[in-house]
Amino acid sequence: MIGLQFACEIEGRMNGHAKNMHLKKSMKSIATLLSFLLLMAVHSTRMVGASRNHPCRKTLQRTFKLAKVVQSEASELFIIYKASQGEGSEFLCTAPVNNIPDPNISGLEASERISSIYTHLQSFIPHLKRVYEQQTDLQLPTSPMLPKLLGVSANSRNLALSINDFYHRAFPNLPLPEPAGGPTTLPPPLNVFQQKVYGCMVLKTYKEFTSNVSKEFKSFRGKVCRRRMKTNALF
Amino acid sequence: MGDVSALPLCALLFLACGIHAYSNFQSHLLTLPQNPVIEIGTNFTATCLISNTVEVTADDLYWKLSNVTIPRDQYRKVNSTALSVTVPITKDISEEWLFCYCRKKSSYVVLNEGKFIHGISLRTGYRPEKPENLSCISFQKEDKSFPSLQCSWGTTRRQTPTVPVHFTLKVMQVLSNQTSSTTTKDHWAEVKLSPYPFHMELEVWVEAVNQLGAAESVHLRKEAQHFVKTNPPEVTVTSEKSFPTSLLLNWTPPVNQVCVKLTYQIRFCSPKSPGWSHVPLPDINDQTNFRLQGLRAYTPYTVQVRCRDVENLHGYWSDWSQNITTTTPEDKPSSTPDLWRTVVYNGTSERLVQIICKDPEFPNGRITRFDVKVEKQRDRAWNQSGGWKSVLVNRSEAEEGETSLTLLEQISLSNLESVKVSVVAVNSLGRSPEASLILPVKLPDHARVEELKVWPHEGQLVVEWKPLRNKLLSGYVVEWLSDGRLDWRRVSKTSNRTLTGRLDPFVCYTVSVYPVFSRAIGKPVQMLAYVEQGAPLRGPTLKLNGKPGHNEAELVWEEIPLRDRRGFITNYTVFYKLGEEIREVPVPANSTSLKLESLMGDSQYEAWVQASTAAGSTNGSHHSFITMKYAAGTIEAISLGAGLVILLVFLLGIYKREFLVKRLWPRVPDGRQSSIGTWSPDCSMKAEPPKESCVSGISVLVSMCESQSGFEEDKASLSLRKDKYTSEEHSSGIGGSSCMSSPRQSVSDSDEGADMADTTASTVQYSSVVASSAYKGQTPGSQPQHSVFSRSESTQPLLDSEETVDMFVQEASGRFERLAPQDITCSEVFGPPDGEQLDCCQEADELQADGRTAPSSYMPQLGGYKPQ
Repeated sequence: MIGLQFACEIEGRMNGHAKNMHLKKSMKSIATLLSFLLLMAVHSTRMVGASRNHPCRKTLQRTFKLAKVVQSEASELFIIYKASQGEGSEFLCTAPVNNIPDPNISGLEASERISSIYTHLQSFIPHLKRVYEQQTDLQLPTSPMLPKLLGVSANSRNLALSINDFYHRAFPNLPLPEPAGGPTTLPPPLNVFQQKVYGCMVLKTYKEFTSNVSKEFKSFRGKVCRRRMKTNALF
Repeated sequence: MGDVSALPLCALLFLACGIHAYSNFQSHLLTLPQNPVIEIGTNFTATCLISNTVEVTADDLYWKLSNVTIPRDQYRKVNSTALSVTVPITKDISEEWLFCYCRKKSSYVVLNEGKFIHGISLRTGYRPEKPENLSCISFQKEDKSFPSLQCSWGTTRRQTPTVPVHFTLKVMQVLSNQTSSTTTKDHWAEVKLSPYPFHMELEVWVEAVNQLGAAESVHLRKEAQHFVKTNPPEVTVTSEKSFPTSLLLNWTPPVNQVCVKLTYQIRFCSPKSPGWSHVPLPDINDQTNFRLQGLRAYTPYTVQVRCRDVENLHGYWSDWSQNITTTTPEDKPSSTPDLWRTVVYNGTSERLVQIICKDPEFPNGRITRFDVKVEKQRDRAWNQSGGWKSVLVNRSEAEEGETSLTLLEQISLSNLESVKVSVVAVNSLGRSPEASLILPVKLPDHARVEELKVWPHEGQLVVEWKPLRNKLLSGYVVEWLSDGRLDWRRVSKTSNRTLTGRLDPFVCYTVSVYPVFSRAIGKPVQMLAYVEQGAPLRGPTLKLNGKPGHNEAELVWEEIPLRDRRGFITNYTVFYKLGEEIREVPVPANSTSLKLESLMGDSQYEAWVQASTAAGSTNGSHHSFITMKYAAGTIEAISLGAGLVILLVFLLGIYKREFLVKRLWPRVPDGRQSSIGTWSPDCSMKAEPPKESCVSGISVLVSMCESQSGFEEDKASLSLRKDKYTSEEHSSGIGGSSCMSSPRQSVSDSDEGADMADTTASTVQYSSVVASSAYKGQTPGSQPQHSVFSRSESTQPLLDSEETVDMFVQEASGRFERLAPQDITCSEVFGPPDGEQLDCCQEADELQADGRTAPSSYMPQLGGYKPQ
């Protein structure tokens, strides 16, 4: 501004006739500059907002990927499990078994559904552990199913951690409820066939559950982790 | 029983004594701190405390570092019972000891000297430094798992053996705060992670710890999948008939895409391409198939694929997959065959033209035949004589990929004929476009390329020329020929430089550049060139031109055959050697002879030629010759002189014959006509045939003279025995007497000495006794016997011829006069000098003249060994 004024003064001294014309031009250019600066400021604020929200989306993305990993591994595990149970394995999963968590996700809001996923996942983990213990007795130590089962269990725990992290980022003011009704109820001691049936049902249900989880997280993309961006946009 | 119980008692007693001794042995000095670890570059302070004695004070103490006493100015008296010392630690002095001593020599101190010494061992080292350049990688195993995370880091390695640095690699899963670690002394470590925590954030760092401190590297924080290096993908390549210029690639990701999303890179090459061609990364992305397009039909392509984490630009690429080679489908030839000709002008009005061609640049299949058409120009129109003619191509698969020439036609053309040749290459799918070549009546020599330059470059020849400015110019043909192998390359008219392609080293190529006009081929410009020169394979073969002279010789050699030359001969060097001295003469490359001068006469020389190229030299075979003893004309001059001398002697002989006869053959008196002949009672005065007894004495002399002249064949034996003759020890006591003795009687040969016990080893005494009456008893005993006793002490062997001579003389004494004067030189061999020989003869004359010698009979006496 000082520069412009100085230029105007000089020009005024030099040529008084063209003074008004130059002033108009100068004012126009200043207005353009101010508009540009305003735009930049708004954009940078948005960027800041976006970057602030970036960890949430990043966590969502990561949790979704991990859910897909668990889903993929659960599917593979179920196939391997059936293959390792010998003859009649196709009939194992037809018998009803109690106390296995529901594979369906409940809740209306995203937060409720995420907490449902979390609690269900937490419920499944002890069942997976029990299946591993039973299958350790039933399978040869070299069976490829056992490490796979361990892997699914470990990744399920990781998924639970990741969902927890994501939930706290997405809904920082909402506490994540722990599984209702206390610790997961595990089945009483079973015979070999019952163990096979139990394992099959657990893995089958878990496969369905992880499939639902993947779908659910896919649906969260674009819905969750946007609130703050909207606030910024309004600003 | 008593012994058994005594043993534990003794043991207990011994133990008690030991404990007592230990409790008694309590040092009065104590150095603190105990077992210090000191950082190099700092000052170390130790304190010596006096306890349980008033015998010494701090003033009596002093310090020693190993065996060196520390100066007092480094001491500090804490109190009367404590003295500290400060030592700057500037280097690693690990395993050295710092002692506190007492200098007082009181009787107690002397008696308990061990209690007034205390030392500590020092361990020095450096603080650990922060590990730098931490990087981690997780390799995928064959079973597709990622069992661990391997990390490596760097340090300056500044540590001492006594204070080593231990590194602890720590990997923490951020969400669970679960940490795995491995400790090592190396600069890399591995942490087991099972299962591999895909999509979980990991924090990795290294702690360097030793007794002086700890340092921590920067913390790497990444999701686990960003550390992986996967196996390469498994690739399949499909060739589809309907797409002759493309190949379809499919591959299987090495890891589940939900675990690591991968991006891929593809590269491919064909035998004709100079290297790998890469498909741009954005064209592939995370697809698991790709179609390579714009390829050459019927060409083998080798394809490789690799992958890495798509989200990590600095992630690790997998290794390239194994080579998959697939040939693109066949298509009809898409370019013309490369038509060319060779012309042989045989000096007559005709020329022999060979029409040759190379396969099209894009044959797109196996060329099975060429269709050729030859048209002659008549009245400015091309008249087809025989239509299309097929030339079948029958090549093995091995030859298929190589550039091969096909002879299409051989035409004998008159210089007045112009011909147009058209060719089409055919494969199983169709015909190529047509190529044609016009052979004009006369090559236009108005336009030749100029300033042709040829030089080698990385196994090829670069050919450059000044471009022609001619409207009709359509291009150039660069041809290179070597040892009957011909190849060429067509160059556009806008170019003035080309490469020949890979050529053999050490081979001479004739490079020609032809301008090609719209209706004719211009005259070429040629140049010889090598891609790489070497030393000649063999040197020139040298020989003499004519015979060597007395001090000169002309050497000639043949040029090395072109195949063995392996480069341009820059010069020859002629070496010639006399004894140990070697001289060399450089000869220009265009010369193949050299005249050596100033040689020594009658000397053996050894010569050879060295041929040199820019890359080395090779010697040719060696040739020896001997220079003449005399220069030309010397022999003739000597011969002429000798002839003249002989002629002079001959003339002298003719003119001075009488004189010479007198001098050479003096007159010998005839014994039969002498007075002694008449005097001897045994000798008849009649003219009887001479008896041996009458002439024996004289005949000896004669035979002596005859021994050489009459029997030349005995010269050899004479010379063999010459050593004996010339021996002083064996010389005859009576000159010439050897002639008088029979060979068997007179042999005194040392070789036979052993057998002849009666004789001495070196001397045989033999004699000829000439007795007038002792032999035949014809003379009364009253008559005094005049006998001549010739005695010889000679070891000289008697020649066989002597006997012969004797016999001959005995038989033919009548011929005495004829035989006597023969060889004056015999005396030189046998005995006295000429004069004596003559004296000998004179003596014989005298003897006969005196009549004292009456050799009534001459029987060669067997040296006294055999009784007669």
